[in-house]
Parts: sequence; structure tokens; C-alpha cells
Amino acid sequence: MTHRAGYSRSSQAPPIRTVLVLGLVLILVFLAACAPAPAAPAAEAPSAAEEEATPTPAEAKTFRIAVGIDPDTLDPALGTTTTVSNIVDYMVETLVVTDKDGNPQPKLATGWEVAEDGLEYTFYIRQGVTFHDGTVLNAEVVKWNLDRILDPNVKVPIRSPFAAIEEVEIVDDYTIKLHLSRPYAPLISAFSLGNAGIISPDSVNAEGNTYENVTRPVGTGPYVFQERVKGERIVVTRFEDYWGEKPYYDEVVFRVVPEAATRESLLLAGQVDLIILPPISDLPALQQNPDVKVLLAPSDRTIFISINNTHEPLNDVRVRQALNYAVNKEEIIESVLFGAAELLDAPMASNLFGYCPQKPYEYDPEKAKALLAEAGVESLELNFIAPTGRYVQDFQAAQAIAGFLSEVGIKAPVSTMDWPSYVAAILTPPDENNIDLHFLGWAPSYLDAAQQMVQFYSPEHPPNGLATSFYGNPEVDKLIEAAAQESDPEKRKELYCQASEIIWNEAPWIFLWVQRFPIVYRADLTGVDYHPTEKFYAIYARPAE
Amino acid sequence: MTSFSQYILQRLLAALITLIGISLIIFLLVRLLPGDPARVIAGLLASEEDVEQIRVWMGLDRPLPVQYAMFFSRMVRGDLGISARTKEPVLKEILSRLPATMKLAVISMTIAGVLGVLGGVLAAYRRNSILDFLISVGTLFGISMPVYWLGLMLIVLFAVRLHWLPAAGSERPASYILPSFTLAAFSIALVARMTRSSMLEVLSEDYVRTARAKGLRESVVVLRHALSNALIPVVTVIGLQFGALLGGAVLTETVFGWPGMGQLMVDSIFARDYPMVQGIVLVFSSLLILVNLIVDILYAYIDPRIHYG
Repeated sequence: MTHRAGYSRSSQAPPIRTVLVLGLVLILVFLAACAPAPAAPAAEAPSAAEEEATPTPAEAKTFRIAVGIDPDTLDPALGTTTTVSNIVDYMVETLVVTDKDGNPQPKLATGWEVAEDGLEYTFYIRQGVTFHDGTVLNAEVVKWNLDRILDPNVKVPIRSPFAAIEEVEIVDDYTIKLHLSRPYAPLISAFSLGNAGIISPDSVNAEGNTYENVTRPVGTGPYVFQERVKGERIVVTRFEDYWGEKPYYDEVVFRVVPEAATRESLLLAGQVDLIILPPISDLPALQQNPDVKVLLAPSDRTIFISINNTHEPLNDVRVRQALNYAVNKEEIIESVLFGAAELLDAPMASNLFGYCPQKPYEYDPEKAKALLAEAGVESLELNFIAPTGRYVQDFQAAQAIAGFLSEVGIKAPVSTMDWPSYVAAILTPPDENNIDLHFLGWAPSYLDAAQQMVQFYSPEHPPNGLATSFYGNPEVDKLIEAAAQESDPEKRKELYCQASEIIWNEAPWIFLWVQRFPIVYRADLTGVDYHPTEKFYAIYARPAE
Repeated sequence: MTSFSQYILQRLLAALITLIGISLIIFLLVRLLPGDPARVIAGLLASEEDVEQIRVWMGLDRPLPVQYAMFFSRMVRGDLGISARTKEPVLKEILSRLPATMKLAVISMTIAGVLGVLGGVLAAYRRNSILDFLISVGTLFGISMPVYWLGLMLIVLFAVRLHWLPAAGSERPASYILPSFTLAAFSIALVARMTRSSMLEVLSEDYVRTARAKGLRESVVVLRHALSNALIPVVTVIGLQFGALLGGAVLTETVFGWPGMGQLMVDSIFARDYPMVQGIVLVFSSLLILVNLIVDILYAYIDPRIHYG
């Protein structure tokens, strides 16, 4: 700024004026921002005046959890995200839950029967259960919920598991019968999905809720929705009329903290009691820290390199096997993932119904070279992509894999892109798809092989589905179809076993590992557990005696 | 009609045209992003029918001009559509997040104004002293430190090591301290440097010497005669900094789990939530245009050397 004012009546502005202007700018900005009163009382940011409101009474026991995402919805029917359904689980329950091995267990249903032909399912509803608003759980309420999930006016993003249901019939006050248009064997497990959470029919008329979109879920769970500040926290309080075992804490607060390092700091500062997904490189330090416990929970998320089975020479099974022998997965799990994974020994995680283990491809670069020579491959350059930050150490692991591939003479430098672009690239139909290798994770939302086998089923090739390796084998297709129709669990398992063996030997993927789901919590707590669908289970957490 | 009110009208009209242009650019930009928003929203496990259904809900099956016409006609009526991610009205979502971001921005701006001007005046007045040197080094840090890293360092120091302050959230007054300073660091430094150089210039002006010669008290000379003139360019900088603050809010809110628009924007971009991204950028742009308009007009008002026309 050069000040060359020759004559200037007011080259000396009175200070009052300048200060006034400064103040005005600030005030105007502030007014522009705050003039419209937020419409949603539940989602209001705390105003400076009410900051000190609702201090928790000293005797109220609060459990504080930090998660990484702000829920897109709390409507059980509309959810697609594990962490969100993890939160909703505190308030809303399902008819069925699966145990850690994928076996269906009773929850709001005390039992069920499947007809011989697999077209009729009878559910017996638990008696003596009330919702947070006092509504009593019965067959009518369950029917209303299932009808809502199937109602085209409700934008349920994942409706396909329930698509086979044609009609829900009320048999008596506590019995319902489902009539199916076609057999769908995984249906019982599908009822453990958060999307099938049972809410009170009256609650859709309550404040803030509509039939199409529930923002304050009213379920039968051990905790009642209290308040939500979008982008910051969700508070739930204990339901005193809960039908099951009552939890220890009066109140649970879920804090939204997108940054992993901040979540870790919150825990170390004693400002929260439990976090998920700390920065993975800090796992060793956290494991050494006596103040916290690290639970590396097994999950159902398989991590693999999907090989494009249609490209030359990758359509040769020997080349795909060579890729599997070329990579030292144990080494990568140890040094890149800090131990937060276990080796994959089947085309699916071990906690899925239908899993049976295969013989792992051990690290053997000589064998890899021999197989490549046998297939007549002299030099190979591959287009390899990986996401960044989608899965644990994804891009870093992909770089390590590229290193191992180069040792057997395969050039496959890794590039990355943002997730939506990545998904678009890998879902490109085969005739235009120029990706040879891509890094991917796959986590069935209920623990059944049916949800994993879509990856190896011909009709699921993009653009129709998500089988991005374009692997296809008529024999495997038949086995998968037979298993989906088979109502005898033992026979079903056997069919999946046969399919698994063929898939394993034909190596449509570089089979890598099953990701573990890190949960870190205060060392003086007990009762913190997990579910293999990448969920923490802390409803019954309490201070150790 | 005086030239001054003509100038204001002109500026208003320009702001309006800018806003319409921005709406078109935003609309095209979010659609140029690769990736199918319907697939992103449905999640990887959803079937093709599920995705197709979402595509229809979002109106993505229609031609682009039709989509824009719908977006524009609704926008004019103040309807920004429904968020694809949360199924709530975009405007309602934005209004519930706006206060948190605004509070953070205004507090940071106030801190930057007060500390920056104070530091700048001290540095200029005690020119080439140790104090001046320390302030220079401090501002250099403030300008070159990444917001993200600074935030994490402050958390480690004040929350984890010292247990003085909350590491995240916005529940208590104390929660404001770390994010405000993190966000303000760059602006404090910039305002201080600006004030220092502008103050040095003014202190060597004739009228300051005259004032001293008249035997006025030093404090009156510095504060009243020099500072009031030195602050004229600083006002502009503070006004322009507002844009940088909104940008910085995106990172700061992510680091501190602050429930504002920055965090909402990150969530919406990753979810390819077109209506929400459009709405947020539109609101951000309107705010910036408004602030710049006000600054321009006030500047013309306080500094008669500006010729409007």
C-alpha cells in the first residue's frame, strides 16, 4: 500500500469510524449466519447460553464412545453403514441375531420354522416386550415393520435380501407367517440385518419422524434415544422397562470424531472410554500402554486383489496361481498392517456360515516364476489400482504387493483414486475395463456364504453386479444356485464347501487376509466384546470390580 | 442518484450475477466428478435394482439441462432439495450446522483481529528490537504451519499431556479454545504482518511528525493518528480472510469433531451427495460475496481515495 495522498481532507479517518467498520463487518457476518433459527430442535448446535446446561449429575454413570462417522440416518430401514447400525443397535432390536460363527440366534423372535419347500417361514414373537413409547410387541407390530421394509415408498437401500417375501400373514397375536415367491435360504440370517430392526409403529408420527424417514428411533432396545447434535454426538439413556438384562451405564454418548488421531487423543486424555479404528500405526504403542486395552476383533471383511479374469494372460489359471505364490502376505500383515489381520485360507472369512478352510498359497517366488514360464509369460505389465484409506493400510499394502510382484518379473505400479471414482472404474463392463488388478475388501452384512459367493457368480459380473474379477465357472454357478435353494443347513454347507474348493484352486483373486477391527478402551473396563460384522459390543461394559 | 449509491447498486447487481454463475458451475462440477452417486449411496453390497431405484429417486435418470432447470427453479424459491445421504431437506441440514461454523469463524476472526493488530503495532513501534524479531518468527510459524498438524499438536499438548482442555466436540466454552486458535493461527500472522508494514509506513508520514511536534502524547500520536490510518488496509485483509477461514474450517472441524458445515461438506463430497454439496457451496459463496460486498462498500466509505464509478 503506498500512501501518496497529496491533499486529503480525511487522510486521517477518525479512529471511531475505523473501529466501527471493523465491528460492523464482524456483526454483519455474524447476523448473516445466525439470523435463521435452526428448524430442527434435536439437531441444534448448543448456543453459547446453554453451554453449561445439563451437566450430568455426579451419580449418573456415563459411557462415552468415539466413532469416526456422522450417521447419515438413524432409521434402521434406511441404514447401509456398520457403524451406524452399531449405534442403532443400542435402541432397536431385530427378530434374529447371529452369533460369532454365523449361526442365527433368537432375539425378538423366540423361534422359527421353515417349511419343507422353503416357501413358508413361521416366526414366534417374544412375549412381554414393550417399546420405549409403551407399545407392546406383537405379531401386528412385526407385520407392520416388515411391510414397511417392503413398501416402495420407503427408500430402503438394501431391499434385495427381503425381496422374496410376498406376503406377511398374522397367525395369532404372537405368530407370523411369511409367504415367499421363491426359496431364499439365507432369509433367517437376513433378519439379523439392522435394516430389519423393529420399531414402534406409532413412533413414525412422533416429533421429527415420518413414515418414510425416522430420525428418532423408538425400539425395544436397552437404551432410549435422548438427543442428537448432528456432526457431534448422539446421546441415549437406559430403558428401565427393558425385557432383557439391564446394562450398567445410565447414559451412553456416541461422539462423532472423523480424525483417527483425535479419537486416540480423546481416549488417552480420558475424555472417552472406548474408540474404534485408532491410527493403525499406533497399535503397537497402544498395546504397550497399561492404561488401555486393545481388542483386535476378528471380522468378516476379506481383503483381496481382484484379478481381471478376462484379460490375457490373466485368464490362464497358472498365471493367477503364480500371482498368489509371488506375494508374501504374512510379511505384509506383520510389517504394514501391524498385525491387524489374519491370513485368508478360503474364499471367505472363517466366521461365515459355509466356510471350510483350504490349503493356503505359501510364499514361493520360485514356484511363481516356474508357473509363469509354464504359461509362456515372459514379461508382464499390469494396470494395478488401490484405494487410499478405505481399508486398513490399503494403499501401503498394495505398494508392498507391487514390490513382491516385481521380484518375479511382473511390473504392476500402483495408482490410486478417490472412492467413488474407484468404484466406477472397477464396475466398468468387461469390454471397456482396462484394470488388471484392484485392491478390494468385501464384508458380508450378515454372516452367510451366500453374501460372499456373489463375488464368484457369473450373473453378478459388472455392470449387473459386483463380481469385479469377472470370474465365471458354470459348475460353481450351479453349486451357488443349489445352495441358495437348499433348506437343510448341512447340505447347504457342503455345497458351499465344494464351490470354495474350486474357487480356491482357480485363484480368481490374490487371496490376502481378513481384516481385524481394532477396538481400544480404558483398561479398567470389563464386558467389552465384538461382533464379526465389524461391530463393537459394549452394551454390557462396566468398570472392573 | 449519487455516484455512491450508483456504485452500491452496481456492486449488488454484480453479486447477483456472480451467484447465478456459481450455481451453474457448482451444478456442473459435482456432476463432472467420476463415480456413480447412486452406487456410492447404496453401498457396495446393494444390488443393481437397489441402485437403479436410488438413481430415479435422485433424478439422475433425466437429462442434465432438465436437472439444472429443476435445481435452479427450486433454488430461486429457496428450496435446495433433499439430501441424498440423510433424506433431510438440504436447507434444514445446513441451517443446523451453520451456527457452529459461524461461531468458530467469528471467534477466530476476532482473535486474529485483536492479536494480529496488537502484535503488528508492537512490532512496528519497537522496530528491530528483540520483540520485533520474536513476533516475526511467530508470524512465520503461523503462516507456514499446516492447520491439520497444528490442531493435532495442540490436542496432544493441551488435552493428552496437560489434561487442561477438551480434545474434541463443542459442548463447553472451553471446547472453543483449541479449534479457534488452530483456525486463527494463519490469520493472526497475516494481520500482524499487514499491520506492521502499514504502521511503519504511516509512522513515517508527515502528519505523524507534525502531531509529535505539536507535543501530543505519544500514545495519542500512535493510537489515534497513526493506527487509525494504518488500519484501513487491514480491514480489507480481515474481510478477505473470512473466505480463508471458511476453507480452514473444513480441516479444523474434521480434526476437532466440530459439528459445522465443514464436516458436513466433507461427508457430503465423499457420499457424492449432489444436492447437499451444491447447497453448501452455494451458501458458502453467498456468504463470501456478501462479506466482500460489505467490505468493498465500507472501504469506499472510509477511504475517500477510492474512486467508484
